[in-house]
This record gives sequence, C-alpha cells and structure tokens, in this order.
Amino acid sequence: MMLIPCPHCGPRNETEFAYGGQAHVSHPEDPHALDDAAWARYLFYRENPKGLFAERWVHSAGCRRWFNAVRNTVTYEVQSVEPIGPRPPGGRPAESTTSEGGHA
Amino acid sequence: MAVPPPEHPDFLWRNPEPKSSYDVVIVGGGGHGLTTAYYLAAHHGITNVAVVERGWLAGGNMARNTAIIRSNYLWDESAAIYEQSLKLWEQLPEELDYDFLFSQRGVLNLAHTLGDVRESRRRVEANRLNGVDAEWLSPEEVQDVCPIINTGDDIRYPIMGATYQPRAGIAKHDHVAWALARRCDELGVDLIQNCEVTGFLKDGNRVVGVETTQGRIHAGKVGLAAAGHSSQVAEMAGVRLPIQSHPLQALVSELFEPVHPTVVMSNHVHVYVSQAHKGELVLGAGIDQYVGYGQRGGFHVIEDQMAAAVELFPMFGRAHVLRTWGGVVDTTLDASPIISKTPVDQLYVNCGWGTGGFKGTPASGMTFAHTIAHDEPHPLNVPFSLERFETGFLIDEHGAAGVAH
Amino acid sequence: MADILFTQGPDELKRAPLAPLHRRLEEVSQPAPSTIRLAERPFTTQIGLRAVPDTAAHRSLAETLGVGLPDRVGEVTGDAADVAVLWLGPDEFLVVAPPNRSELVPLLQEALGAEPGQVVDLSANRTIIELGGSSARDVLDKGVPADLHPRVFPTGTAVTTTLGPAAVLLWRAAEENWWILPRVSFAEYTAQWLLDAVREHRLAAPDGVSDAVPDAVADPAPASAPDSREEAPWPATTA
Repeated sequence: MMLIPCPHCGPRNETEFAYGGQAHVSHPEDPHALDDAAWARYLFYRENPKGLFAERWVHSAGCRRWFNAVRNTVTYEVQSVEPIGPRPPGGRPAESTTSEGGHA
Repeated sequence: MAVPPPEHPDFLWRNPEPKSSYDVVIVGGGGHGLTTAYYLAAHHGITNVAVVERGWLAGGNMARNTAIIRSNYLWDESAAIYEQSLKLWEQLPEELDYDFLFSQRGVLNLAHTLGDVRESRRRVEANRLNGVDAEWLSPEEVQDVCPIINTGDDIRYPIMGATYQPRAGIAKHDHVAWALARRCDELGVDLIQNCEVTGFLKDGNRVVGVETTQGRIHAGKVGLAAAGHSSQVAEMAGVRLPIQSHPLQALVSELFEPVHPTVVMSNHVHVYVSQAHKGELVLGAGIDQYVGYGQRGGFHVIEDQMAAAVELFPMFGRAHVLRTWGGVVDTTLDASPIISKTPVDQLYVNCGWGTGGFKGTPASGMTFAHTIAHDEPHPLNVPFSLERFETGFLIDEHGAAGVAH
Repeated sequence: MADILFTQGPDELKRAPLAPLHRRLEEVSQPAPSTIRLAERPFTTQIGLRAVPDTAAHRSLAETLGVGLPDRVGEVTGDAADVAVLWLGPDEFLVVAPPNRSELVPLLQEALGAEPGQVVDLSANRTIIELGGSSARDVLDKGVPADLHPRVFPTGTAVTTTLGPAAVLLWRAAEENWWILPRVSFAEYTAQWLLDAVREHRLAAPDGVSDAVPDAVADPAPASAPDSREEAPWPATTA
C-alpha cells in the first residue's frame, strides 16, 4: 500500500487513487501527418523505466483531481508531485511541490 | 500431503563457464528461455547454445506463477498457439522423461453477469470451431464439477454458469523448469546463472554478441526472453517495446487434504484458485495498477482477492494464508504476447506474455526457436509480431485473459 | 427552474433514504448513547459550487453565503448548525444547510451570474448519518484510511475519503459527533456497515453495561465526557 501525496489533499492511501499511466503524452497536433509507425508510437508505446517515472494519478475517492507524480518504479517511493499539464520542452514545470508539501 | 512428490533426480545440470562464442545466446533462464533452448537443440539441431540468466535458473515468474494451463482463448490466432501449447504439455513429460505432475483436472471460467454469460458462450463456440475442448455449464453442472463452490444466489455476484475446458489443468512449475534444464544440459546447452547482460555487441545493424557480468560472449544470434525486464534488455540493443511491467501477486494457504478438484477462475471478482499437489490452495489476483519492478504489490489487492475467494468458496474462510509474493509481468495493450524478429538483424524477442506466460511456455519456446533458427516466424507466431502494433492487426484477448490468467 | 428543485417538493412526499433502518439506528443508540449513537439527518439542503479561487465568481459566492469559502483540504467555513461550506477540491465546494433552505440556490445562482462557475442543487445526492459518542472515532478507525487523530483531524474538519469500500464525506461536526455523507445509493450499505461496526462498542459500555442489561440502566453518561452530550443543531428526523 503506497501513501501517495495528493497535491491538494496531502498523503492518502493508494486505494483512494486510480492510475493514469505515463504523464506528458500529448495528442499529436496533426494525426494525419503521422505515418503508421509514428501513430503506433503514440498509441501503444510508453516508457517503462526501472527507476524514476513521470506518471498520472487521479485522486478519485478524494478531490477527484488529476496530477502528475514522479515515482520510483522499484522502491515505489513518490519523489514529487506536480500539477497536470504538458511538460514544457527542456524540463519540469516551474510550479512543482515535493512530497513534503502541504497537508492539513 | 495429498500426493507424494515424485523422486527428485540426483543430477540436473552442469554449471559451465561461458565460452567466448555460441551460435545462439538466449537472454533469460526462465521457462520461455529454457524451452527455446530445448527446441533449438532437440528439434533444430542447434546445440551450441547458451542461456544466460541474471539470477538463478527459473527464479523469476517461473517460480512465482499459479501454474494454470489452458487454451480456451477467443481469437483464432491465440487459440492456435495456446492449443498447440496444450498439446505440447500433453507430450512433454514423456519427451523430457520427467514427471512434472501435469494434471488435466479442467478449468472453470465463471460467469457472474449477463455480459459474462454472453461473452463466455461466444468463447465456447469460438473454441469449438478451433478444435479446443470447451463446454458451457449451468450453475448445477458447475456444482457437479466443483462441489465446494457456492452456486447459491446469496452472494454479491452469483454464479450464472461457467465455461469448462476438461483438458486444462496445472503442472508443478519448478519441476517443469528442472525437466527442461536437465534435457537442455544433456543436449549440450550451457545454462549460465549469475550472468547479467549489460550490453549488446553490434556490427552495423546486426547483433553479434552480448556483454555480460561474466565477460563478452559472441553470438550468431540473440533471443530475448526476459519477461518483466524485456524493455530494459531490448533498450540496450536499441529496440523499443510496447510493454508495461506491472506487479502481479499470488498466495498460498497452508496444506490441506484434497478439497478442490479443478481450477476455478473468475475475471469478474478477480480471483483464480487451484489446489496444488502438495495440498496448498494457490490463489492469484489481478495486477497492481501501476508500473512496478519491486516484485511486490499492495496488500489491498490480496485482501480483495481473498474476499472474492471466501465468497465463492465459503470453506476457505477457515484457511490461513501461508505466503504471499509478487512477480513482474510484461503486459501489452492487447493482452497478447510478442514473438518476433526485431528491427535489429539476428536479434529476436519473446515477451509480452503478461499475466499468462506459464501455459504458453512450450509453444512459446517451439515458435521462438523456429523464428531464431530460420530467421522467419513459425506460422503460429506470424500474427504475434511487433509489426501488429503498426498494422493494427491486434489480437485483443482481454476477455479470455481477464485481469490475469 | 427553481420551482422544480428537489428541496421544494411537498414535505409529505419526502422519504428519508434510510427510513427502513431508522428503527435499528435508534435501537443501537438506546443502551449507551454517550458511547455510541447513530441517526440519520435527511433532507438537508446541499448545494454544489464550482468557482476558481481569486476570481469574481469565487468572491461573489463567498460574499453571498456570508461565511466565505474554505481554501484548503479539511477546512469548513460557517456553522454546522446553520450554513456550512465544505472543501471538496481546489475549486469545488459543498454547501450544507438545514432542510428547507432551498432559497439559497437561486440566491447563489444570481450571485454567480454569467461568471464561469457552477451552482447546483445536490440536496438529493447525499444523506447524512450521524455517528456520536465516545467510541465514534474507534468505530470509524476500523474503516476510514484517513488519520482521524485530533492532531490531524480537529473538530470542524471534513474530508472526502472512504468508509470501507464506499466513498463518503466525513465531517467532524463536534468533538464526538461525526457526520458521514454517503451518496444515497450507498447510504444503506454505509448504515449497515456502521450498524455492524458499532456492535463491539455497545457491548463495552464505559461501566460494564452490556447488551444483556435492560435498556433502563443504560446511558451512564460519565461526567468526564461533556462533549458527548452536545445538543444536535437540529433534531434528527426519525420518521
């Protein structure tokens, strides 16, 4: 059972959350411009790292908000959480909070 | 103790030092790697083969699965390969001269909703058209096959019927591994443990060997059978796979007298149960939802699976959990495996078996060995290529595979 | 639109979601009400609000309610006995008011005007199960994953969480008075769960009073638990 730090509600049990897979996968701007291989990459290929992984979670039994988390897929430790949204080129969104971030 | 285990052989395999070069190197010494080596050596005459294993032989999912064998898959492509696999299971004990306790005690796939019923009956018809033994059973007939199951209407999801495959069953998974390893060794295959692949040797677009923790090993061809770790291994060779690795958990109870005569699976309430030869109840659940390599998952998954099991089998409420464990399973988007050539020449991949690799072990090895030996897929694994994700010819087995199988 | 609001229906047609269980809720509350009490508070006025903080809509709704809008998880503004506002998410709130306060809906709708946001009458969505007594927290701890220790969950805190497998709003309206808000379709399940969960606590009343003892000698009401006798803000409906 993981303790996941919801950016809005603070640390809550994993059972309150649902998983959304890899974060920052944007819909292609012009799908018709893609060939089959590129479309397959968008549709079926996801990162599967052993280590840190940027992924989406939704606090479905809490505030019902989606957010992004960076989690270690070996230790299951959540390193940081950040608001939902596309990752700007070259790095993290400026606004990000650590797992220590605000719980009542 | 229900059945005394057969006597254990005195000798299984050598522990050779790796040679500097092999015709074929198989990465991964689990069930699929071992059968691949076996079929290469026994059926294709390629005996200059090494199986390199990061840990110990058959210590990954081969040691962690719930040992269920069946072939009642929906689509023609899956029915063909899984039915071939079942036929090979039927002949392997004799072929390998090793009684690995393959017990064809049948499997029930329960239906709990009208949707389940429609889907199950469709699958029974599809199975019959493909020569797979399949029947639709009423709740009363389910009770006849498995008297300890609760077919009453006093449970949250009453049993509305089940598909039944009489030729399905279980085998003793560690004995399967030993049987294969012993025969591979006899045929001259080098089984090399504690030998982790750290990189690939390439000559242009052609793979010519592997770097390992026991040194460089040259190879004419390299086959990957690394299950949950396939993505990492393939990435070192420059190949990306449409795989996500998830934790999958299982558990056993303490030993009991034989009470459970068959295998019962329920996708709807997420549990599958058999009783092993020694007498322990073996229960599996669905995957944990997140990507994970920790070989462990959340306790709530175990709890849910136990709740479902106790409702289906009221007498299990008196049983105790003895051990729980987890493995790392490589899942694809269509719940079907990948047995394929890759964009890199002489590099082949066998992965994506997800939650149901054990039953596929013999056909997986047979078709993968053929693919490696001829640089062309066997007719049975043509549909299971990497290209299907680009052509769109997916083999969606989520219904037959369920959350786990 | 306001004339078809649920909360304005004829009173005689209203039926409490847990009406079939009211007798049992009353029964378990009889032997030792200072230890365990269960009751339903149906028909409260509940209004869902959506407004992003620091916008005109947010300011206008907060002003109209007169009690402000909570700005973080757990916070409740206003008064449990009158109009209170619970935090559901960063831009989502639930107004909980006594029955027959549906005039708040058009008032808030008017306040929102054409600004981006939402005012929705959700009165029929959730009922309230009141769990009171000195053992209430022990009962909840069996099924709620949230930390209910006063250090983290002081009186006046409300969160969205789960009770057993059911999603609920959990509100500590007074020190020993917890309000559980399941959706109506989960209300019976939640009540049954609670009826089961309180059993061991009824057996262990403070001075050894147990189920076996006639009701007449129950309710020892020790002086050391003053808050347990706190008056309910309005009478629980038992019809």
